[in-house]
Amino acid sequence: MGEYIVELNHINKSFPGVRALDDVSFNLKSGEVLALVGENGAGKSTLMKILSGAYMRDAGEMQILDQVIEDLTPKKAQKLGVAIIDQELNMCSHLSVAENIFLGHEKTRSGVLSNKEMNQEAKDILDRLNIDIDPATTVGDLATSKQQMVEIAKALSINAKILIMDEPTSSLTSNEIDDLFIIIKKLKVEGCGIVYISHRLEELQRIADRVIIMRDGKCVVSMNFKDTTMSEIISDMVGHEIKEEFPRVNCKRGKKIFEVQNLNAGKMVRNINFDLYEGEIVGIAGLMGAGRTETTRAIFGADPKESGKILVDGEKVIINGSIDAIRAGIVLVPEDRRRDGLCIRRSVQDNIALPNLDLLCNKIGVVDKKKERAMTDEAVRNLRVKLTNAGANVGTLSGGNQQKVVVAKWLARNSRVVIFDEPTRGIDVAAKVEIYNIMNKLKQQGIAVLFVSSEMPEVMGISDRILVMCDGKITGELVTEEATQDQILQCATKFDSKSEQVVNS
Amino acid sequence: MGNREKQRPWEDFLAIRGMRQVLTVTVALAVLIIAFSFLSPSFHSGRNVGNLLRQVAPIFIIGIGQTYVLITGNIDLSIGSVVGMSCMISATLMTKGVNPWVAMLLTIIVSIGVGILNGALVAKWKLPPFIATMGTMTVARGVAQIVNNNYNTDAIGKAAQSFRNVFYYGKIFGLYNTIWIAVVLFLVFDFLLSKTRSGRYIYAVGSNIEASKLSGVNTARSITIAYVVSALCACVVGLITSAAAGMGTMDAGNMYELYAVAAAVIGGVSTLGGQGILIGTVIGACIWGVLQNGLQFAGAPVAIRNIVIGTIVVISVLLDVVIRTEKPRRKIKE
Repeated sequence: MGEYIVELNHINKSFPGVRALDDVSFNLKSGEVLALVGENGAGKSTLMKILSGAYMRDAGEMQILDQVIEDLTPKKAQKLGVAIIDQELNMCSHLSVAENIFLGHEKTRSGVLSNKEMNQEAKDILDRLNIDIDPATTVGDLATSKQQMVEIAKALSINAKILIMDEPTSSLTSNEIDDLFIIIKKLKVEGCGIVYISHRLEELQRIADRVIIMRDGKCVVSMNFKDTTMSEIISDMVGHEIKEEFPRVNCKRGKKIFEVQNLNAGKMVRNINFDLYEGEIVGIAGLMGAGRTETTRAIFGADPKESGKILVDGEKVIINGSIDAIRAGIVLVPEDRRRDGLCIRRSVQDNIALPNLDLLCNKIGVVDKKKERAMTDEAVRNLRVKLTNAGANVGTLSGGNQQKVVVAKWLARNSRVVIFDEPTRGIDVAAKVEIYNIMNKLKQQGIAVLFVSSEMPEVMGISDRILVMCDGKITGELVTEEATQDQILQCATKFDSKSEQVVNS
Repeated sequence: MGNREKQRPWEDFLAIRGMRQVLTVTVALAVLIIAFSFLSPSFHSGRNVGNLLRQVAPIFIIGIGQTYVLITGNIDLSIGSVVGMSCMISATLMTKGVNPWVAMLLTIIVSIGVGILNGALVAKWKLPPFIATMGTMTVARGVAQIVNNNYNTDAIGKAAQSFRNVFYYGKIFGLYNTIWIAVVLFLVFDFLLSKTRSGRYIYAVGSNIEASKLSGVNTARSITIAYVVSALCACVVGLITSAAAGMGTMDAGNMYELYAVAAAVIGGVSTLGGQGILIGTVIGACIWGVLQNGLQFAGAPVAIRNIVIGTIVVISVLLDVVIRTEKPRRKIKE
């Protein structure tokens, strides 16, 4: 194998409050498939965004194809031959396959587009990859998997030498994955260096030559794939047990409050069954894109569902929209507080009152200012939101305090089931503990608490029971006291039937 | 794979994106024409057809510009005011004794300035297009009022007769020049839109601006081009208006921006960007004109005409939105 075509040394990258990459060194040879693995937030995507020019590094050296690179933009990266195929497809759905492939570098003849030539060349590229797509088809009419193939073809049309694929198989069927792997092998022979990011460890066995494992913004392991085993990779991904203080209260498990039966909603929520009891906190673990957020949204009625029964206190409730869920006593603290949780330009008081106006208005719909004020004061006091006055704009608060306001707006009404989606994302440690305390308080009050979290220690530290999701299904249910991180990760990577090989551990 | 047979010409024609939709609208147009012919026999008299086409031409011309802007996913509300402004500027200059053709050139330059300004506001400074062009709409109307001290101009006089003939009164092969201007503009801008790189980028930007940017497209430039085309088309209509009236009127072009949206949308151009072809706008403008003219012949009052046309515009947009939102849902079920 040739020498390195990419060398990154001592790369550092920080975002406000987070050190995303910490002295990372990374390299890639031509003609190899490099598997880049790690848990959510380990820094894989950040590193690849630096390599493709989407992010600027704070410090470190970068060498691509023997050129020392100072600052890299997406355009420059393209010129150098770095192509990235994102998890989310980025194409002009109204344009044809050929038009997308040649977007930005069209072929013209004295100013006139030569569509025939481009169609022919697109056809050649697609043929080379054994992809059976007519280049004149409109991209929007293609299935997602085919669109993915077009992205690859587009990367090849700029003669990519370095191809980065971020979770390329997440939307593919097993046949399509086989096709993709054939393409990858072909590219390998042609001398491309391929970085392959995937959570589906069993897939890696089929194509990876080398593996780099990242954890907490560092590269921890780089080794030849055949010298390692799946269980070694998993334990390297998890790392040492991170000891963190989680306040835990023990309650007696009471009666069943909430039950979901055979819930289906789109591709990411398949046949979900679970129940919640009084006096327990249930965590949903899983990797990014496992369908956890989709499940909470479907329960809450934010997204339409195809089928499924939801019972609160043994009685069936019909949820067609969020309003039905709220009436039934189910509330959702969403993942993205700035987008889904708060009206960012309105005051704290307005935000807390918004879902509770039914309680705050008199019969003809006039808001009772006194009641509103009282509700806000009580909520702010209970949750210890730090603010100068309740008229303050929510956008001016810190992340932790914003999160408390989102929680406060739901706790202001008496609910039976409170669902938290990533409740501690992007907030500091002290605020995290306060959120945990709130969850514990709800638990003590006999309210069912369900929370989604991507942080393993948090799931282990705060929940009494863990549901693990993978690929839109619940793949494991564990009692926290007996669960280990390895077990959870194994359930979280239990993708079915896409590959014959099973995770061996 | 690979054994695609030689396609027949009409298949190529149908393969043009959006052509099927345009054909549907064309059928609707034909139905309207037949219906109105029955309602009032004088509707399809040669005289009326000539007048009708001349009446439709300005709507179609501004429709070209609006189509460009709509395809990029934006909107241009300043069109009507630019019509008024260029009508007033050209007429004022001519009454002051400026050579009509010099006056025309100056007017075109000022209008292009408005287009560039719109493009900069929307593409560079990221103003919402609705607000940005509403601002330039008001400013351009103000300019129309100020150029002749808040009066309509006097008659543009004998010296401008050739100008008036070229833009309005003259005929070539029995068709009014106005119609020929529309035809030429259509051919030029349709070529630009469907056959050149700049045109391709207009679609790409409207379809997915992020993807376009990442593919190395200068998105700000594409959006600006669309606004300049729009302003230019509005300017031509302003010149036609002053030639037709033989004077400048300050409120010329009032509401034209909306007529332009109507023509484009009826013709299948999506208000959400990325989709539409110019021939659709031709048909859309014709439907608009036939409805106006036909309902008039049938004795319907202005109020009824407004209600009918407004309803048709809303239904056209509704169909577009329904089609767009239905599509992904069907896909999941497959």
